[in-house]
Amino acid sequence: MVHFTAEEKAAITGLWGKVNVEEAGGEALAGRKLLVIYPWTQRFFDSFGNLSSASAIMGNPKAKAHGKEVLTSSREAIKNLNNLKDAFAKLSELHCDKLHMDPENFRLLGDVIVIVLATHSGRECTPDMHAAWQKLLSGVATALAHKYH
Amino acid sequence: MLSAQERAHIAQVWDLIAGHEASFGAELLLRLFTVYPSTKVYFRHLGDQPDEVQLLSHGQRMLQAVGVAVQYMDNLHAVLSPLADLHAQVLRVDPTNFPLVIQCFQVVLASHLQGEYTVEMQAAWDKFLTGVAVVLTEKYR
Repeated sequence: MVHFTAEEKAAITGLWGKVNVEEAGGEALAGRKLLVIYPWTQRFFDSFGNLSSASAIMGNPKAKAHGKEVLTSSREAIKNLNNLKDAFAKLSELHCDKLHMDPENFRLLGDVIVIVLATHSGRECTPDMHAAWQKLLSGVATALAHKYH
Repeated sequence: MLSAQERAHIAQVWDLIAGHEASFGAELLLRLFTVYPSTKVYFRHLGDQPDEVQLLSHGQRMLQAVGVAVQYMDNLHAVLSPLADLHAQVLRVDPTNFPLVIQCFQVVLASHLQGEYTVEMQAAWDKFLTGVAVVLTEKYR
């Protein structure tokens, strides 16, 4: 189980507060960036339509909508920093049994999310902030993979 | 294989780093050691708590090598061959560590360039640095 220090929790909530959640989080840019930077991840999203170029992907309405859906699901779960495995248990079962998604994608997406946060927060993304966020997203990825069988 | 557009993105971003290899390199190493403490095992020669002088010095060397790779991005095998030998015979850094360096590199670029760091630049640099890592580890066995 991942344990977050008081400093790490403060770094996570502090950065989350500073970054305009409606703008950066609401846009859920990371999912679409994942599809651009690692094109093989598109294999799960045949129904999205045109993903043929970076601009097509970034403008794709289904990709945008899906990103927001992932963000909404995660937001509730992230409120439970002390027990990520339980918080993401149902989502983990879904990704294994219904979506058949390779857990490696959770790690890749987590990394892209950190870069999006760094883009928005600039020099406020200090090494300690960066570390706290990587730890959180790594914990989420592990929790999402926990129920795989 | 890098497309013409990818090469342009890589060169464009490098222009912003050129001349500042030491400070970018030091920040890269500081993030690496803070976010992924296990990587410190490969830098014992910098001591338990590497100071700013050491980070700047070693960081500069690493970023200068990246600069050479940018200059010769169509011929990485030849130009990185001595470094590939070094990594295979002396350093023997486990290949799983290179993606960690690349992630920290991306965060350095993103936190400095912010809105100017487009997804196309990010993709090009990810592809380029992954290519560098492949060359650095290709003589491992």
